[in-house]
Amino acid sequence: MGATAVSVGSLGAAGKAIGQPKKPIPTTPVKIATVSFLTGAAAAPFGIPGYNTFMMCADVINKEGGILGRKIELLSKDEAGGVDAQVKLCRKLVLEDKVDVVLGYISSASCQAILPLADELGGLIIAYDCGTHELMEGAKSPYEVPKFKLGFRSKAHLGIDNIGLALVIKKYFPKIKTIAGINPDYAWGRESWQIFEVAMKKLMPQVEVVKTLWPPLGNTDYTAHISALMGAKPDIVHSSLWGGDAVTYTKQAMGMGFFKNIKMAYSRGEPYPQEVGKDFPEEQIICCAGTHYFLYPPHDKSPLNKWFVTEYNKRFGKYPTYPCYHAYQAIYAYKYAVEKAAKAVGGWPEIDDIAKAAVGLSFKTPSGTLTIREDHNAIEDVLVGFTKLTPKYPFPILDPKRLEVFPASQVNAPVGIKTVDWINSWK
Amino acid sequence: MWVIYTLNALYFAALLFLTSLGLNIILGVMGILNLAHGSLYAIGAFMAAWTIIHIVTKAPVFFLYVSLLSGLVLAGVVGFLMEKSLIRAMYKRTLEYQLLLTFGALLLLEDVIKMIWGGQAYYASAPFDLLGKVDVFGNVYPIYFLFVMFITFLAGLFIWFFMGRTKLGIMLRAISLDREMATGLGLDIGRLSTFAFVLGSGLAGLAGALVVPTTPALLGIGMEPLILAFIVVVVGGLGSLKGALVGALLVGFTRSFGIAIFPEIELPLLFLIAGIILVVKPQGLFGR
Amino acid sequence: MIKNQRWIAYAVIFIILLFVPRLLSIHDLMLFEYGLTFAIVGLGFNLLLGYTGLLSFGHGAYFAVGAYTVGMIAKYLPGAYSLEILIPAALFFSLILSIIFGFLCVRHTKIFFSILTLSLSMLLFALLFKLYHLTGGSDGLRVPLPTLLGISFKGIRRPEFLSGTYYYFLLVLFAVSCVIMRGIVSSPFGKALQAIRDNEVRAELIGIRVRRYRLYAFIISGLFVGLGGALWSFVNGHVTADLSHWVFSGEIVYMTLLGGFGIFEGPIIGAILFTYLKLYAMGNTQYWMFVIGATLIVLVLLLPNGIAGAFASLGAKLMRKKSV
Repeated sequence: MGATAVSVGSLGAAGKAIGQPKKPIPTTPVKIATVSFLTGAAAAPFGIPGYNTFMMCADVINKEGGILGRKIELLSKDEAGGVDAQVKLCRKLVLEDKVDVVLGYISSASCQAILPLADELGGLIIAYDCGTHELMEGAKSPYEVPKFKLGFRSKAHLGIDNIGLALVIKKYFPKIKTIAGINPDYAWGRESWQIFEVAMKKLMPQVEVVKTLWPPLGNTDYTAHISALMGAKPDIVHSSLWGGDAVTYTKQAMGMGFFKNIKMAYSRGEPYPQEVGKDFPEEQIICCAGTHYFLYPPHDKSPLNKWFVTEYNKRFGKYPTYPCYHAYQAIYAYKYAVEKAAKAVGGWPEIDDIAKAAVGLSFKTPSGTLTIREDHNAIEDVLVGFTKLTPKYPFPILDPKRLEVFPASQVNAPVGIKTVDWINSWK
Repeated sequence: MWVIYTLNALYFAALLFLTSLGLNIILGVMGILNLAHGSLYAIGAFMAAWTIIHIVTKAPVFFLYVSLLSGLVLAGVVGFLMEKSLIRAMYKRTLEYQLLLTFGALLLLEDVIKMIWGGQAYYASAPFDLLGKVDVFGNVYPIYFLFVMFITFLAGLFIWFFMGRTKLGIMLRAISLDREMATGLGLDIGRLSTFAFVLGSGLAGLAGALVVPTTPALLGIGMEPLILAFIVVVVGGLGSLKGALVGALLVGFTRSFGIAIFPEIELPLLFLIAGIILVVKPQGLFGR
Repeated sequence: MIKNQRWIAYAVIFIILLFVPRLLSIHDLMLFEYGLTFAIVGLGFNLLLGYTGLLSFGHGAYFAVGAYTVGMIAKYLPGAYSLEILIPAALFFSLILSIIFGFLCVRHTKIFFSILTLSLSMLLFALLFKLYHLTGGSDGLRVPLPTLLGISFKGIRRPEFLSGTYYYFLLVLFAVSCVIMRGIVSSPFGKALQAIRDNEVRAELIGIRVRRYRLYAFIISGLFVGLGGALWSFVNGHVTADLSHWVFSGEIVYMTLLGGFGIFEGPIIGAILFTYLKLYAMGNTQYWMFVIGATLIVLVLLLPNGIAGAFASLGAKLMRKKSV
């Protein structure tokens, strides 16, 4: 299966008809470098699922004939080793290995350091999983776009998760009085909380923040934090904890009776009910980093999602989580951009042509539709749900009766406006 | 609530103490700072998690807890291999080489762990879930944490008794106090050093094993415990077990109550404590 | 005689290095520049290790200070963002930090010195990481192209900047660092350091103020490392807190050992070699840590004097053969 936005057959005729200088499409493979964490704590939740998906998609695309007839040759690299090592590696990939595109980067620090290299080196770089809203934003609103001519992000940033949570809380819990936050103490956690807090202040100004905690990444003992939160008695607690930290925190909180009176709102909680299993508490608020959920859109409505989930499960024995969906988006964004550009210039497009074609690119994904705007950032709808045990699955799923989907326009700042400024401008 | 804060402090202190115990023994007896200490912790964690996952549906409950010891055993074995192959070669060399060797071992072992166990997360929460919770003055507290404190207490007691009362332990202490004199008195430094290294490694593995019921075993899990162990060693004094205990308690209580009052405090707090101690008493609380 | 030969060799190498931009591809040239900045770091670090006998596992702290000075000025004082201000500023802040940390550390030796330097650099790491609003936290800071003596480089891209003016700027500073360090180690001060390294008690007895000299060595090494960090930041374009993490400091030690800490030129060779080693390991396998770790272990066991040291002993053997 797998979707194709442009049918390959029409290209030859279109190219000849335009009469532009035709570059014959090479028969050599197209080299795609993928960089994600294959070591360290981010490997299990993000890097390896991403790596798996890249491999799966490349395999599927190749079986269907490749990109414009060229097979994909995947070079998979490890995002670990420090940011300076990544800068050197990216330069090597673009200048020495001469890859056609670099897809990758989970850590915001990597993205911040690497995206500028796209223009520096004249290579196409698509960030696939990093969340920082600051990546493409300028210093003040309005800011010039795009920030990087050849750098893209094939997903929306963390703004959608945290705005989505605030919108759900306003809709379902309009009477709460207090909230708190426990976020990992680094840029990701700080930024996630920042957006959430700004949105909550705007939407529910009467709600008071009673505690904000900042455990370090990789902390394994949350008992002190859990007790501190319970002592402050918030109604809802926001968290952008991820991976092993999210699971550890939830389990320890379960053991200490946290969930009796307090609800959690996880900004990227989608993978964790599956990881914790049937003990994961019900009625927790989970955001899916977009609308990436193995059960959304429902399989009868989205054959593409059905195929994606089934194929991933067949190959890797688990249901795909949001990093998988992000990886799909990145590699298909490149494929469709190339095909769109090829249609325009006839023959294999140059990097500038591909970059031009990527702007405004909109295509179907297993989660819905992805659109890349002129600021080179993608926008997505966001899904927020409530955990619920059902007999069909050995872990809580998101209650199908209360799947809140907010459209992209409601949770993504307009082009050129900083997210924080945009939220503050809401009426 | 204060009771829970105290329990939290004791739990953190217990893990801290156990983690630094192994480092301190090796440091005290052999004068070697084992930078791969975190790797041994990680090996203990992965081994225990893997074992628990494989026997959880097949064996009686009691064995789940015994299987935590598998972490201790494997770490001890790896420590033995390390000592025999690498450290042994370095006795005659200078400090730089010893540190670099253990640093190289750390890098190597990180990838060896990945080669054996892959990059996925290992959840082994059965021991945690099965023990359930207990009611403490109206609050709920997991019994597993009490179990961890108990095991750490036993380990500490064992080491104290061993070092102070057994012949083997006294010999180890002799070496740590004055290596040359000990050799002169006829002690088999080689064998004893191997033993100390294995003991220290096993303790690191035990610490790693004890955390996996509450946190998944993931690549890189050993990095933070290494730093924490360092801080305790610096605060308590090199090679001093009493110092490790006091240091761990000091850090545990300050952290637990600190988080409730000054949420930003966290890791820099530990360095702050270390810094203050170092300015006031440079060799640590009970160091020589 | 030998001394003059050495200086002639240096001069020849310097002239060759002037032509390197024409010989290497842009990618290799940028990689080489990483090597040069770390060579400066290695020279400084080795003053403390090879000549004074103190192993610091926390020298990343001074590297970070140098690099962050550049990043912070870029962010907060863009008007002062020119090389002639940035380099002295980086040196200044490295000086301050090495005085403070050095004062705390040189009271101790051996293991405790190593642990203490490690802990202090981790303290700086924790601060850089935590003070997110000031330092960018885990995201770090961007390092745009600076101006030099009024010349602006707007409109050109970093690779062009690095392969043009910056290369010569870096080369000159590298040469100057070499000359200064050479002078230091050959001076009476340098000899005193070696005396301290070889036998602390005897050095004290003949009147050398051990602790004070150790502090001076510490400060000088901190200055060199900070300079290296600042120069590095332009090549990398981005600075992050992990520059102060102990693992990064460990890489500095690794490089010095790789080249050989018994020889003056050792760290320079080690720095350049390590840059290539790590990159090619990462580029070719996902088990690159195994490769680096195994190489380190083999190095320590078989070539404890480093590569330069091995060549030197080989050379000495051949000389002896010749004279027989």
